[in-house]
Amino acid sequence: MLRSREDAVDVVHALFADLIPTWTSDVDLPYLYRAVTNRCLNLVRDRGTRARLLEREPTAAAPVGRVRLDDEIVGLGLLAALTERLDEPHLHVLVCRFVDDMTQDEIAAHLGVSRKTIGKRLDRIREAVTALRGHEEAS
Amino acid sequence: MTACIGEPISWLRLERFALGAPDPAIASHVAACPACRQCLAQIHDDVVALPPLEVPTRLRRPQWRRRWLAPVFAAAAAAVVLVVVLRRPPPPGDDVASATIGVKGVGEVTLELVRERGGAISYEARGFAPGDRWKVVVSCPPSASAWIDVSVADGITIDHPLAAAQLPCGNRVVVPGAFTVTGTRANRVCARVAAAPGADAGTACLTLRPE
Repeated sequence: MLRSREDAVDVVHALFADLIPTWTSDVDLPYLYRAVTNRCLNLVRDRGTRARLLEREPTAAAPVGRVRLDDEIVGLGLLAALTERLDEPHLHVLVCRFVDDMTQDEIAAHLGVSRKTIGKRLDRIREAVTALRGHEEAS
Repeated sequence: MTACIGEPISWLRLERFALGAPDPAIASHVAACPACRQCLAQIHDDVVALPPLEVPTRLRRPQWRRRWLAPVFAAAAAAVVLVVVLRRPPPPGDDVASATIGVKGVGEVTLELVRERGGAISYEARGFAPGDRWKVVVSCPPSASAWIDVSVADGITIDHPLAAAQLPCGNRVVVPGAFTVTGTRANRVCARVAAAPGADAGTACLTLRPE
């Protein structure tokens, strides 16, 4: 998601650095995935960090965009723009679907919501992308 | 960089495949696609065994390793392609190797102390002896800068051996200067951190003990 190996390492390292001293044992892989996703989104949302990540993106660890939202590759720029238009639940679905390429069933099971809810959130995400592109063309 | 020949495969799916999950579609795609093959090779190159985690005796919980190692390995593979190096986990209490706090306007700040003894550098050492030199190291989000004021207290007096400084953040940024610790009492080294002088500050502390 971050297209930066160093930042990704920092995110995971910081998460475990926070967890280990508390000796919290009631965590599982979905929790860790959500926690890492949250922290990555926070980095992308932060304007200062975002500028640095975008600057690095062309030379960072991303050889190609991996997953497409309709005809558009979900890169760091689009993700960053959507963090200002979508709330947390929608952003999690966005990452699961268009960054990690999970199926709707997998996302529903992962987030503990119905497949119908996932479908609605995906529709809302597509609307946000359409609105974003319309706004860009208008300006 | 070569582009994918078709529909790109996500890192998560490539990582699952690399971990042994059978997927004929990915196998055939990777066989035909140099870009995805390169990504898969990168994932294989990055998978390393994490060092075993040691639980301090006084906090040992028998189920801890079994329940934690699997998520640790899995998260390392699932997050991105990365190598997570976990040093010995710090037990709660005074003898931790680092202290982390959140500071308004700066973010997460981690304090470490580095001991130089006879030319040998140690980030883990917490025992002091005559002749040791100590440096203060902080890590904080690279987009920020932090004002840092270091104090050393032995229970009787409080010294400020290093000049307070405004430093650009990053990984293991060294606060300029070094100090020595003497005496027979434990010394508490604290770093008061703020976005700027006078701003809301947080304090992270580590304890040094005489050997």
